[in-house]
Amino acid sequence: MTREEVYETLNEVFRDVFDDESIEVNDETTSDDIEDWDSLEHINLIAAVEQEFGMKFNMGQVVTMKNVGEMVDIILSQI
Amino acid sequence: MGATFTSFYFLCFYVCLLFLYYLVPKKAQWCVLLFSSIAYYLLSGNGILILYPIISCLSAYMGIRIMSGDGQSGRNRNLRESSGDQKPGGEQENGGNEISGSRRKATLVMVIVLQIGILFLLKYVNFGIHTVNGLSKLFGGTGEVITAFHFMVPLGISFYTFSILGYVIDVYNGIAVPQKNFFKLALYGMYFPVILSGPIMRYREDGEQFFKPHALDYKQVTFGMQRMLWGFFKTLVISERMNLVVNTVYGDYGQYGGVYLWFATICFAFQLYTNFSGSMDIVLGMSQTFGLKMPENFETPYFSKNISEYWRRWHITLGVWMKEYVFYPLLRTSAFTKLGKNLKKRLGKKRGKQLTTFLAMFLLWFTVGIWHGGDWKYVIGSGLLHWFYIVMGELLTPFFQVFMEKCHINPRSRWVDGFRIVRTFFLVNIGFVFFRADSAGTAVSMLKSMFTSFHPGVFFDGSLFTLGLDWIEMTIAVVSLGILFAISILQEKGMKIRESISQRKLPVRWLIWYALLFYTILLGYYGPGYSAAEFIYQGF
Repeated sequence: MTREEVYETLNEVFRDVFDDESIEVNDETTSDDIEDWDSLEHINLIAAVEQEFGMKFNMGQVVTMKNVGEMVDIILSQI
Repeated sequence: MGATFTSFYFLCFYVCLLFLYYLVPKKAQWCVLLFSSIAYYLLSGNGILILYPIISCLSAYMGIRIMSGDGQSGRNRNLRESSGDQKPGGEQENGGNEISGSRRKATLVMVIVLQIGILFLLKYVNFGIHTVNGLSKLFGGTGEVITAFHFMVPLGISFYTFSILGYVIDVYNGIAVPQKNFFKLALYGMYFPVILSGPIMRYREDGEQFFKPHALDYKQVTFGMQRMLWGFFKTLVISERMNLVVNTVYGDYGQYGGVYLWFATICFAFQLYTNFSGSMDIVLGMSQTFGLKMPENFETPYFSKNISEYWRRWHITLGVWMKEYVFYPLLRTSAFTKLGKNLKKRLGKKRGKQLTTFLAMFLLWFTVGIWHGGDWKYVIGSGLLHWFYIVMGELLTPFFQVFMEKCHINPRSRWVDGFRIVRTFFLVNIGFVFFRADSAGTAVSMLKSMFTSFHPGVFFDGSLFTLGLDWIEMTIAVVSLGILFAISILQEKGMKIRESISQRKLPVRWLIWYALLFYTILLGYYGPGYSAAEFIYQGF
């Protein structure tokens, strides 16, 4: 899977979790950019991403990832 | 010596320690803190019980050694031991280091089982036994199916267990530096100001500072002492006074009707807050005099506008711990992921997600409740009742919004905010009735009385002065609460009180601090029971 393909799928996951069809994420996107992205939604998002890509983040990654770019790096390293 | 920070002997101990701390070479400062922590624990109660925190630290140490022993293949290779830098956890286990991955996991599980096992055995076995006996009685049995155990519970077990356990989990997840020196780990686990009543530390944020050199900094020492003084004011002047009223009424609740119970419960809300947050001021202030910054545990919680916010401002470190180590991992378990998926299919996306979260929150709040003590009064009063409030709040929010729109009420007006603050305080007080009553059953009968019997006359006939505080004492209590309220409002507005005072002219500064010192010395309550006065939370 290329980085672009990951982003394509990831956009779908984000839109589904946050119920907002206009969401378009990139490397720099953080929780500040999406209104409902609080700590609880973060966990829901993580669970949805794991399910979609068939991978698992460890808890350390869950609490320390700073932006979507880091999330994509981890996804790419595992699929 | 007694465990209480407000005893004269403790203050002598602290002053000697402070001198010693800054006299020894900086490399040895942490050793001074370790020895004084051991001495403090030995002198605080039954000395032999020190074995429990030592076992806890030792098991954590061994676990960490095994986990970081996997070094090159483990997740911790991203962490530089000396720097304390945090980086995202390293790699997932792959074919090449699968054995080390499972070994690390097994080690983590063993440490968790041991730590929680000890906690469970000492604090919660009797809870199970009492529940079984209670059920037996309810169904016509003897009520003594199993005999309860009598354990000596080490001081502060719930606090140090969580600080240590969180650290081991963080090392497993690769976000905390593995400490290779047992004695340094022991200091983190047993640091005396926090071991009895918190705050619950996180090694990745608070741990490494213990081992750095701390030069004597006049500002840090004076600011620390000022904060300690503020803590003494809260505990000795306010909390101890409130305690008298609370003990009188709760000790003989059958005698007192509705209004008395409301009055005593509100007194208890202030007693508990000033006691717990006052002890935190002493702990954080004392740590500041050593050049150490401990995490804040309170942020004027009675100004919260809803229960969720209240828990982000009351006992903050417990809430953070529970979220990170219980709630989030629980939501990510395959059981909850599957459940969420099923519920979303059946109930729709929004409701399905909401219900899954509520179920996970139920387990979270049960854990928060039981953390406070093995008794249904804690499970309900500090746990499930708050879960109920939050769930109801979530479910009713849309109705409130429609209601306010129809009535043309501006949801952002000061009046609405004021109403929300009073409502939240009221709801919290219902929980406090459970917390303070002898049992959950007693709390229910007290609440019945509180909602059914009103005698407003007691406000005017002087009966409130017969509850342990005469009118002079009551005036002192009210004035002191007024001072606390005024300072809390300034804090709420973002003012840094000590910083602001320090910028004033010398006579003004001295006047303020000496006034507070003499106010506390002269009006601090040292009545009967003073020597037994302890921080309420240190029993947990």
